[in-house]
This record gives sequence, structure tokens and C-alpha cells, in this order.
Amino acid sequence: MRTLVKLELTRSLRNKKFLFFSVLYPAMLFLLIAGSADATTEVGDSGLGLPAFMMVSMASFGALTAVLMGNSERIAKERQSGWVRQLRLTSLPGRGYVLAKTASAAVVSLPSIVVVFVVAAVVKDVRLDAWQWLALTGAIWAGSLCFAALGVAVGYLASGDAVRPVTMILYFGLSMLGGLWMPTATFPGWLQGIADWTPTHAYAALGRTIELGDAPHAGDVALLAAYFVVFAAGAAWLYRKDTLKA
Amino acid sequence: MTTTVSFERVTKAYGEVRAVDGLTLDLYPGETVALLGPNGAGKSSTLDLLLGLRRPDSGTVSVFGTSPREAITAGRVGAMLQSGGLMDEVTVRELVGLACDLHPRPYRVDDVLAHAGITQLADRKVDKLSGGQQQRVRFALATAGANDLVVLDEPTTGMDVTARQAFWATMREQADQGRAVLFATHYLEEADAIADRVLVLHRGRLLADGTAAEIKAKAGARKISFDLEELRGGDPGLERRLRELPFLATATVSVSGSAAGSGHTVRLQSTDADATVHALYGLGVYPRNLEVAGLGLEQAFVAITAAEEAKAA
Repeated sequence: MRTLVKLELTRSLRNKKFLFFSVLYPAMLFLLIAGSADATTEVGDSGLGLPAFMMVSMASFGALTAVLMGNSERIAKERQSGWVRQLRLTSLPGRGYVLAKTASAAVVSLPSIVVVFVVAAVVKDVRLDAWQWLALTGAIWAGSLCFAALGVAVGYLASGDAVRPVTMILYFGLSMLGGLWMPTATFPGWLQGIADWTPTHAYAALGRTIELGDAPHAGDVALLAAYFVVFAAGAAWLYRKDTLKA
Repeated sequence: MTTTVSFERVTKAYGEVRAVDGLTLDLYPGETVALLGPNGAGKSSTLDLLLGLRRPDSGTVSVFGTSPREAITAGRVGAMLQSGGLMDEVTVRELVGLACDLHPRPYRVDDVLAHAGITQLADRKVDKLSGGQQQRVRFALATAGANDLVVLDEPTTGMDVTARQAFWATMREQADQGRAVLFATHYLEEADAIADRVLVLHRGRLLADGTAAEIKAKAGARKISFDLEELRGGDPGLERRLRELPFLATATVSVSGSAAGSGHTVRLQSTDADATVHALYGLGVYPRNLEVAGLGLEQAFVAITAAEEAKAA
């Protein structure tokens, strides 16, 4: 099991494209958006400067990229190639594969979070208390598990050519709608109503409340937890279905 | 005697098609068994059921007295699938290392690589290998630990003749160590050359079960060939008498090049070679280079299958 996680990690680290998109791309996007803004430009009524606001957005976005893309495409591809079947002829328990995939995606998502933080602190002078940095890292990392489960579900739901478009639609849709790229305050009213219920919105809100020096709101945590349960249950159901027919 | 694998009236259908149809069979320790049949005979489905990759619609499959999944988890069964994908972006050594790590009774990685004949490929990326080389990697994955049974689904697909021979040499080593080996094949000469026991599968049912020799005997005919000096230059009367020999399986006796005067070889098939040869001497001729041989397994197989289809029609 540990060897499998290690091997999955090695593969992720060897995959330059994946590494670029999940680790460097969010930090670059952060610089692009927050580059010209100074800390006093406040974002809507959030009480946060643009750099601080976008830092959480991009850290969340980076973690989302790593776990969602990392899981869905690979699982779908490996189901198709027959590698999943081959693994089922080993003593690895069925869910071991999913756990290994998720664990290795989570290991890649951690640096993507940290890189955004470092860039924000060094280039844009974002200053927070030590506990806030730690809490932010922990909350964003833990919250990404919700999307890891979604990635597993998509990997078992879609196959072949369908998986990339499905992942992309979910990925961009959730990122934009949840306000990871721009504040949802700029949305028209009806869209804001929808955005408030997306998992990505709750996800980004976790970080922003920590930045303001508060504990995350129970409502956001509950919404994210509810999505996690739904995604994980869906993934488990699809996984079992696939196991029986594979 | 305890069985390694036991199927009891196992049926598996995909829609209308019965891939496995009431199959009952027992395999025993130390046997090298060939599962023989044309494409679509149900070989892969049978192995999928044996390995727990699919569940039977009815009947029971047990492996070492437990469920297939339990037997695999206990590390008693190693398997090589026809369509088994491999992890990409990793080296052969890393992948084989993973298989060893996951096995409850693993061998050393270097030994596994050496046995599969892929030591020199160890540092190559798996996705950069040829089809035949990937087959050897799959074989290494199937033999990463001390299994009691190795299952191989058409293992030599995609290998050239040399690789195929090398592969079976490796496989025999495994069998010599006392492992039971079960392999599916439609290369009939492989079943003939390697297996102690041949199971002929046709339309999901067991058509024949025995040694390669028994399978051939079941098909009955043996081929007889000899040279006849007396035929040199042609002798229609003698040719007619040859055609009237007893127990001929084929209606025609082929006499090669009798008119040209140089060739005078007679080939015929008989269902009772002893009686036919006895009658041949009774003709007062002197056959030279007499050969009596069993039909190849391929022909035997064609005969059994044809008989079965005639019965079904």
C-alpha cells in the first residue's frame, strides 16, 4: 500500500504538465490578477484586500486542480487500460487504489497551496498571524478532500473521451461559480443565489474567514461536509458498480 | 485429493449469450492445464470467474476452498490477464517492485525480473516497451510471490516465435517448482507441448478433458504414410485396392506424383491404424518409410468441435 502511494506520487512528480498546472499555475494566476493591485483595494464588502482575497482563492483553486484533475482523469484512463483489473489480482484491498490515488493527489496539492502563500507574502506583502497561516493551510488542504472524492466519482462515472470534458466543465464551472476567480459579489443577483450553494464557495469562504481572524462559519463547514458525503457516497457506489462488472 | 480450483455448474451470460454454460471442473495441485478453445469459446470469461473479476449468474467457483477474492488476497493465485493494462510513467523495476510489495509471500524483485527474463529492461519505462516485452512484465507481475497457482490468459499473444519459446521455457520452470499452472490458449501446439491436461471449451461448455494424447485419441483418427515402389509409374489397380483398405477415415487416399514416376508416397487417415496397416501388408506390397502418427492436436480439436456442432445442428 505504501509502495503504491509512493509510486503514484513519483508518477505525479514526473508528469511535468500535471505538476505545472497544479503547483505553479495557481501562483502565476495569483500574480496576474493581484499583481497590479495594492493591499488597500478592498474586494466588495469582504473586508479583505485584493491580494489577501485572491491568495485564498488561488490556493483553493490550486488544491482543487491537483485533486480533481489528478483523480478523475487517471482513474478513468486506468480503468480503460485494464490496470485497475490487474491491481484487483493483487492482495491490495479494493478501496486501496482509491485511497492511494487520493493520498498522492493530496500530497501534490499541499505544495500548490504553500507556493501561492509564499508568493503572496513575498511579492504582495500579505501579512497574517502565524496561527492564521497554519489554519489556512490546514483548512484548504482538508477542504480539498471534498473535491478529491468528486474526482474519484467522475473517474468512475465517465470513461474514455468523456472524462476530460466532464472534468473541465466541473472544474471551470465550480471555480468560476464558487468565486475562486472573481468575487461572486460581481455576479447578478440570481447567479449569486446559485453561487452561494456551490461547494467551491463554501471552500473559499473557509479561508477568508480565517484571514479575517475568525473561525470558519459553521454553515460553510456544514455545506462542504454535506458535499463531501454526497461525493464520497457517489464515488463509493460507482466504484462498487464498476468492481462488479469489471 | 484437494482441489486448487473447483467450478460447480457455473453459468455466466451476457445478455442472450451464454459465455459459460453449466461448467463443472476440478483442477488439482501441480497440474499444468491448458484451457483450449477458439475465440468466443468462453475461455476469458471462465478465467474472469475463476479470478473473481466477475460473478457467476449461478453455480459456485471456489479456489483453494475459498472464494477467488480470498485466495488472491492470501497470495495463493497469481494471474496474467490478456488485457491487463500496466501503470505508465514508471519503470519496469518500480512496477515489479509494487507487485512484490503487494504480495503476502513475495520474492526478491531481482529474482522476479530474472525469472521473467526482463532484467535488462528493468530501468525502461513500461509504456515504452514492445507488446511482447509488456507480456513479460505482466508475467513478472503474476509471479511476484510464491503462488500455488498461476493463471495465464493467452500469455504469448503478441510475441514472436523466439519470444514465445523463451516464455514457455520460463513457464516450465515455474511448473517444475510444483506450481499449478492454468493457461488459456488457442495456439494448439502450445497446449500439446506444455500441458499435462487439456480442457477443450466450446460455447461455454466443457467438450473434452484429458491428456493431449487422450484428446487426440478421442478424435480417433491417426495418419499413416508410406512409400510404395510398386506405384512408381502408376498402377490404377493398386491405387483402387489401397482405397479399399479397412477403417479408412478419409475417403480418398492421396498418392503424390504417381504419374511423374518419382513420387510414390501414400497418405491416408485411419480410425484403426493397426488394422489398416495389417491389411496393407495383406496386399502383398512392401511399404517403405512407414509412419503412423497421431493427428496434431489442432486436427483433433477441429474434429471434436465439428462433431459437437453436427450434434447441435
